[in-house]
Amino acid sequence: MKDLDLVSSESAQHWKKTLSDRLDPKWREDIDNFETDILLKKKGKIEDRVFAETRLRMGAYGQRYDNGHRHDGVEMKNIPFPTDLNKGPETKWDAPGMERIKLPWGGMTADQLDVMAELAEEYSDSILHITTRQDIQLHYIHIENCPSMFRRLAAVNITTREACGNSVRNVTACPIAGVCREEAFDITGYANAVFKYLLGHPDVQDFGRKFKIALSGCKHNPCGLTNIHDLGLTAVARPQPDGTVKRGFEYVVGGGLGAVTYDAKLFSDFVPEEEVLALTQATCRVYARLGEKKKRHRARIKFLVADMGIDKFREAVLEERAKLPNDPRWTDFLATLPKFEEKPLREAGKGIPKTDDAAFDFWCLTNVYPQKQDGFVTVTITLPMGDITSNQARALSDIARKYVKDTMRTTVEQNIVMRWVSEADLYNVYNDLKLIDLAEPGAASIVDITACPGTDTCKLGVSSSRGLAAELRTRLAVKFVEMDEAVRNLRIKVSGCFNSCGQQHIADIGFYGISRNVAGYIVPHFQMVLGGQFTNNGGSYGLATGGIASKAIPAVVDKLLDMYLKGKQKGEIFRAWVERTGKGVIMQSLADVSAVPAYDTDKSYYTDWGSVREYNVKDKGMGECAGEVVSLTEFGLKAADREIFDAQLKYDTGDIKAAGDKAYKAMLLAAQGLVKMFNIDISEDPEKVMAEFRERFYDSKLFFDPIAGPTYANFYFGGHDARNEILDKEKAGRRLKEAQIFLEACHNCNLRMSMGANKGKVGILADAGSKSDSKA
Amino acid sequence: MNLQYLNWKIHLENPAQAEPDEWFKVLSTWIPDAPEIFIDVADYKHVPDGPVTLLVGHYVNYSLDATGRQLGLLYDYKHPMDGTNEEKIRSSLLGLLRVAKRLEDDAGFHAGKPKFKAGEIRFIVNSRAIAPNSPETLEAVKPDLVKVLEKAFGVGGFTLDRPADPRQRFSVDVTAKGTPVLADLIKRLA
Ligand code: HEM
Ligand code: SF4
Repeated sequence: MKDLDLVSSESAQHWKKTLSDRLDPKWREDIDNFETDILLKKKGKIEDRVFAETRLRMGAYGQRYDNGHRHDGVEMKNIPFPTDLNKGPETKWDAPGMERIKLPWGGMTADQLDVMAELAEEYSDSILHITTRQDIQLHYIHIENCPSMFRRLAAVNITTREACGNSVRNVTACPIAGVCREEAFDITGYANAVFKYLLGHPDVQDFGRKFKIALSGCKHNPCGLTNIHDLGLTAVARPQPDGTVKRGFEYVVGGGLGAVTYDAKLFSDFVPEEEVLALTQATCRVYARLGEKKKRHRARIKFLVADMGIDKFREAVLEERAKLPNDPRWTDFLATLPKFEEKPLREAGKGIPKTDDAAFDFWCLTNVYPQKQDGFVTVTITLPMGDITSNQARALSDIARKYVKDTMRTTVEQNIVMRWVSEADLYNVYNDLKLIDLAEPGAASIVDITACPGTDTCKLGVSSSRGLAAELRTRLAVKFVEMDEAVRNLRIKVSGCFNSCGQQHIADIGFYGISRNVAGYIVPHFQMVLGGQFTNNGGSYGLATGGIASKAIPAVVDKLLDMYLKGKQKGEIFRAWVERTGKGVIMQSLADVSAVPAYDTDKSYYTDWGSVREYNVKDKGMGECAGEVVSLTEFGLKAADREIFDAQLKYDTGDIKAAGDKAYKAMLLAAQGLVKMFNIDISEDPEKVMAEFRERFYDSKLFFDPIAGPTYANFYFGGHDARNEILDKEKAGRRLKEAQIFLEACHNCNLRMSMGANKGKVGILADAGSKSDSKA
Repeated sequence: MNLQYLNWKIHLENPAQAEPDEWFKVLSTWIPDAPEIFIDVADYKHVPDGPVTLLVGHYVNYSLDATGRQLGLLYDYKHPMDGTNEEKIRSSLLGLLRVAKRLEDDAGFHAGKPKFKAGEIRFIVNSRAIAPNSPETLEAVKPDLVKVLEKAFGVGGFTLDRPADPRQRFSVDVTAKGTPVLADLIKRLA
């Protein structure tokens, strides 16, 4: 079969042509650049590592089996993808990948949901998956379809930029912000401001790892989960002596799940609203500057905060804050807050309708939240494992249009909430949802199990988190209605490995995938983590109690619940019962149901949930959670490559002026990229770039080529001096060639320096390169 | 119009018997040593009105599919194809029928052995850019589609109907007169 280009296919061109004018210019540029990067990568012009981080920053992850190998239960087989090209180190170009769509504070309109449903149909598998950080993911995507997807998303005001990679990830917030009965104030507008301010901000481009921010409207409720975040902001309304109320945030840093959990540390108990963006920016700058870059397992801010101690860390941030030049955006957003005040579509009801429908009553009990606004409720739509099909999604957006004003949000428990439903409409909403199988009861209960992608699609998955979650959900659902309330309200969360994407540490009963050797066979297992707390913003973490074979877990859970019910004292919560009973006793009591039968007795234990292959761990690949650490210099050089590519296209189509201008711009970008090794704040001004390049790279001879010496720098200098001249075709052609050579030399210089040949210190803390007198 | 991303769906005669877990097992056995490029099987039996059990390939996905709440086999060609529209329609339809036949014959099925309605199939263009769901698209597609279908079902041997919901992808339901047999259709189209 012949492989035709997807990125330049007719369908891709259609979206480019019809949508480009409608896009935010900055977003359009990001997407156009990414498309060019794809073309350049296909021509072998971008390194695998750099391309990997580029796509990750646009939300395009790798997926399991993308190294081109798959174990079929007996032996490892190659997947014969048609091209040899890679989209990252050991990541095949043609292998399907995942796209993460960023939904700040989980907000989405009916129109946006419709578009995502269409994308799922046309580029994925008609499944939209809600993640544990309020995003939506599509799986099995070909990388070359991404630009079309991005354009269609941007046309409805969604970006995927910085959904993955070493960047500020989705800014999450309580899904009931604004309607919550207990919040200090509505944090939605603030969450949006944080998202907007940091998106693509130069100060967040040079992190060693990802950076996650969450906002919560109050301290005691679970929704925001600020305690488990790199940066957590909890709303505080402070009464003032004059009777007014001052808004601000409790500011915590350095929390996190992952293999080793960290509690966030209190940075300040009150940061006034007008100071929040400035302080966040300063925090990011300190993290970029001092955070670990090489050892990625130590690169999250939690390690920096732990190593420095919160007091020293605070000092560094405040010092940085004092130096920041004022940015009007720090406070401009305050005037936009009223925009986030939602209004109902329908009139307020007068109480939840009385019916003789027991299923409705039960659903109301678990899935309906009375808002602080009288007569309105928020409805939770429980999604099994966070999945919803395209047809369901479209039907849901119609229901939303009928009853509310674009007030849907995703939740970290992988559900969707519809806010502002009039009580008078509730029974109709329920029936409409029932028609599309979205009226399952049990939100935020023991059947509403959270699961990360696990071995289904994640390269790091050890055991099948979704398989286990599906099995537990099916079994528990049968008994759900009759369950004692104490058991019904427990939460189960499952991750496929210790990275904790499924947030098992903050579940009453959590699991993360491990493998164990049983009499010479590798058997899928999960570590059981008991007694974590979802309340108090992810208030405390569970205790690892021991490994249990995947296939034994349903029986173990049954017995555990039974033990708790029988053994708990009046009002005793699960965590307290676990602590009082002790891990040892619990595990001992579970021994009879957790034993693994011998291979010859029962082979089923040797195959994971949701799999028919005998279990092995060989499918695991290199994860991309961290992204690739790509320096600002490398990004600068890539931008320059893109510019020269464009210049050539312009030249070929006879647009000589643009070709000449772009050729110069490419040199400027490359020089600026090199300067970023020493000064990340280098301005865009061509004169300043030239001056710094001359001082740091030319006068210091850092740039000099071992053979050609300073020659190539002169191409840039010449181009700079003549940048306003009108070039004829010949001169433009020459500039194009010179620019190409200069770019090549910049790449080589970067390579020499990163290999240490120049002993020039690379990094933003380095003092000026002028000290170096090495002759490369 | 350059037709691409062609999908076909053939409905099950015995939907109540379909066992997603059995499909999962059978489709999994197709992966090793296949001449096609297959990646994995995905299990979506927990959601309605969409894929149920999905064999993900590089060029084509095959799935037990419940979209529109009708169970059937979905054949989803994901990459741009070469050739004339007629040729693309023919080869993709042939692809669907061959897979349907292979499933009917697969010894891995037990209780839920599939049986397809060879006279009830749906043609879908999985691209809103190429084929908006409009009467104009139908007019543009019809000549080539009819040529292929006439080969399979004979002249006048079928009716066409386009479901009109503009938010759905362009699709055409093909209903054959009589009760055609899979193997015959394959022979006629090959
Ligand atoms: C060392 C590697 C990784 C670590 C330490 C890690 C850690 C985490 C943690 C702790 C969370 C969740 C919660 C939170 O912070 O609120 C999370 C979210 C998530 N992770 Fe990972 N992860 C890693 C790699 C991956 C990979 C390879 C995948 C699979 C593609 C993945 C998929 C997810 C998903 C789907 C979420 C919810 C996401 C979101 O919308 O941001 N993770 N990750
Ligand atoms: S917890 Fe592990 S298996 Fe699950 S998504 Fe995260 S990295 Fe993958």
